[in-house]
Amino acid sequence: MLLANLLDAKTITFESRSVTREQVYQDLIDRICSHNKHASPVCEKPILEAILEREKESSMAYPSGIAIPHIRLENLEDTIIAMTFLENPIDYEGVEINWMVLIFTDKSSSKLYLNIVSALLKLSLDAEAMQELHAQKDGSGVINYLRKKNIEVGKDICIADIMIMDPVSISPESPLSVLDSLMNEHKISIIPVVDDQKHFLGEVTILDVLKVGVPDYLMMIDDLAFLRSYEPLESLFEQEDKILVREIMRSDVKTLSPGTSIIEAVYHMIHKRQRFFCVVEGDVLVGIITAMDIFRKVIKA
Amino acid sequence: MNPSLLMIAALVIFAATYIFIITEWINKMLAALIGGFLVVLTGIVNQEVVFEAIDWNVIFFLIGMMLVISVLRKTGIFMFVAIKSAKLARGNPLTIMMMMFMVTAFSSAFLGSVTSIMILIPIVMLISHELKIGPIPFIVTMVIASNMGGAATMVGDPPNILIGSATNYNFIDFILNLTPPVIIITLISLLLIFVMYRKKIRATLRDRAKLMSYKEKNLVKDKRLLIITLTTVLVMLVTLAMDSVLHIGTATIAMSAGLFLLIISSRQQVEQVLVSDVDWVTIFFFIGLFMIVESLVKTGFIDGLANQVMTSTRGEARPTAMAILWLSGVFSAFVDNVPFVATLIPMVQKIGTVITQKSLIDPIWWSLSLGACLGGNGTLIGASANVVAVGIARHNGVRISFWEFVKISASFTLLSLVVSSIYILVRYF
Repeated sequence: MLLANLLDAKTITFESRSVTREQVYQDLIDRICSHNKHASPVCEKPILEAILEREKESSMAYPSGIAIPHIRLENLEDTIIAMTFLENPIDYEGVEINWMVLIFTDKSSSKLYLNIVSALLKLSLDAEAMQELHAQKDGSGVINYLRKKNIEVGKDICIADIMIMDPVSISPESPLSVLDSLMNEHKISIIPVVDDQKHFLGEVTILDVLKVGVPDYLMMIDDLAFLRSYEPLESLFEQEDKILVREIMRSDVKTLSPGTSIIEAVYHMIHKRQRFFCVVEGDVLVGIITAMDIFRKVIKA
Repeated sequence: MNPSLLMIAALVIFAATYIFIITEWINKMLAALIGGFLVVLTGIVNQEVVFEAIDWNVIFFLIGMMLVISVLRKTGIFMFVAIKSAKLARGNPLTIMMMMFMVTAFSSAFLGSVTSIMILIPIVMLISHELKIGPIPFIVTMVIASNMGGAATMVGDPPNILIGSATNYNFIDFILNLTPPVIIITLISLLLIFVMYRKKIRATLRDRAKLMSYKEKNLVKDKRLLIITLTTVLVMLVTLAMDSVLHIGTATIAMSAGLFLLIISSRQQVEQVLVSDVDWVTIFFFIGLFMIVESLVKTGFIDGLANQVMTSTRGEARPTAMAILWLSGVFSAFVDNVPFVATLIPMVQKIGTVITQKSLIDPIWWSLSLGACLGGNGTLIGASANVVAVGIARHNGVRISFWEFVKISASFTLLSLVVSSIYILVRYF
């Protein structure tokens, strides 16, 4: 299915003024409602409020500059898309948004919806295409361009679409103290280890850090209920400058490639009971995919 | 095929397997199974014969004991005793070392040496770390204790299980004949430890106080399970002791206890227990050994060996017993004592057809047991417990070299074998 075929030139606009997010939303809602007679029953409901309410739960903005607010409406039995290209980007919780796409959908077509989101995301990552789209004059121009580009809906999204790009990483020669402050500062429990060319070497997790204070023999004891305190663990910080990341990192870890499907990523997460994987292309680190990302962007979307 | 050619073929397979087991070039279970089926594949013996040679009494006895031990371990009683004894020693390292020696020996007599080592070595490493004392003397003396304790009962060390199953000796016979020398050896060893380490190990009061704050009571979480388990073990031991009257069979007794405890304690995780707590590698190692040794028996090699021994000792029981004691002592110091005893059992059985008087063949069996079990202390590779303990130490960055081990263990081994010889000579001849 071509993305162009799902669009209506009348619901595609270009905005040159500085506007607020709510203004853009209201404009998109009005356009959808006025050009789709069959949507009028649902248009009577407070749609803007519903969208804003939903956004409080999870952000609809993506780092590539696209925001895809959407609403599921009962009895709509259609999927309607409206979009605005913004000359002046809107700040959406710290992300600069210059392309706002609103989707009306019903409860039964979440698969199509996800595919549309995936196609839009992929498109938003393509700098050349984005420049072309912004340079169009009207809706028909956008549709014609998309048709010419043969942008398809229905290709499955992969983890590259939703992973955290360019994650915090660390060098194997860094001392534990640097690792600790990175974890502390960014509130993360896993950091990929890379060399200065971003080649992936392994990963360190918060458990690897704690393990420094827990020797193997303790791990071999059947039951530690008798031990109330253990000095090496409590004085872990004294070792911070003596121990290097290289000594505690794990290099034999499973990584995923950017093209991995969501289902495969979930499969590995459940299988290994691990909530994150480093995403590696060739041998270069490109991102991290976490279970929470999948949950937020796919399940809750 | 020519009978002597068959014997040579069997011997070649046996020797090759043995070399693989000793050097661990390939996994020892794999080596034993390959050897076991190779003797069938090459037509040295047929399949029915080797399968009949597998001693199911030993196999099921081992499985039953492994099940019992897995539950007993879960009750936390052995850790409780270990920590309690460290506290009773008031954190004094020399006293702890001697207490641990006794705990390890006692625990090995009933749990087996390898299990005891796996439970106790990590604890003693923790203790020595808290006391800021190098762990090596603790580890090596405990390994020595485990092999001594294992020698004391029928269930302690695999060679005794093999001997118990191959002969008519029951649990009580083992206790009556083997426990006394082991107690004497243990007591002298404690004295030796006292002399060797009296001036060498010290700990500060502050570090000792850390041990005293251990809450060992937290280790026994399920008192009911503990009572049931200990009662079951007691009933099992009493039944084993009375088996010469009851004629149930040691395997059935151990399996009954094991299955009962499995149902009582881990009904929900039976599969997990069967997969992880039963050491199938050891079980199949034994199966492979039985098959290979049978090929030596059937081709007449064992008979020839027995005749050789009888000729050189002029058929007299006393020199034969001494020869077997020292031969197995020295051998077991360098090779795994299980395949060694598995090979020597049919030989002693053959000798038993010549020396038929019970009072004369008895000491030969006990000599085999004492030599094989206690000789295991000779070097770092003499027994499974040694290898396991050194492995745990290495995992924790404590390297125990072959010579470092021998430096401590040699005197204990020599002492054990000398005391055993005197015991055999005084008691039986």
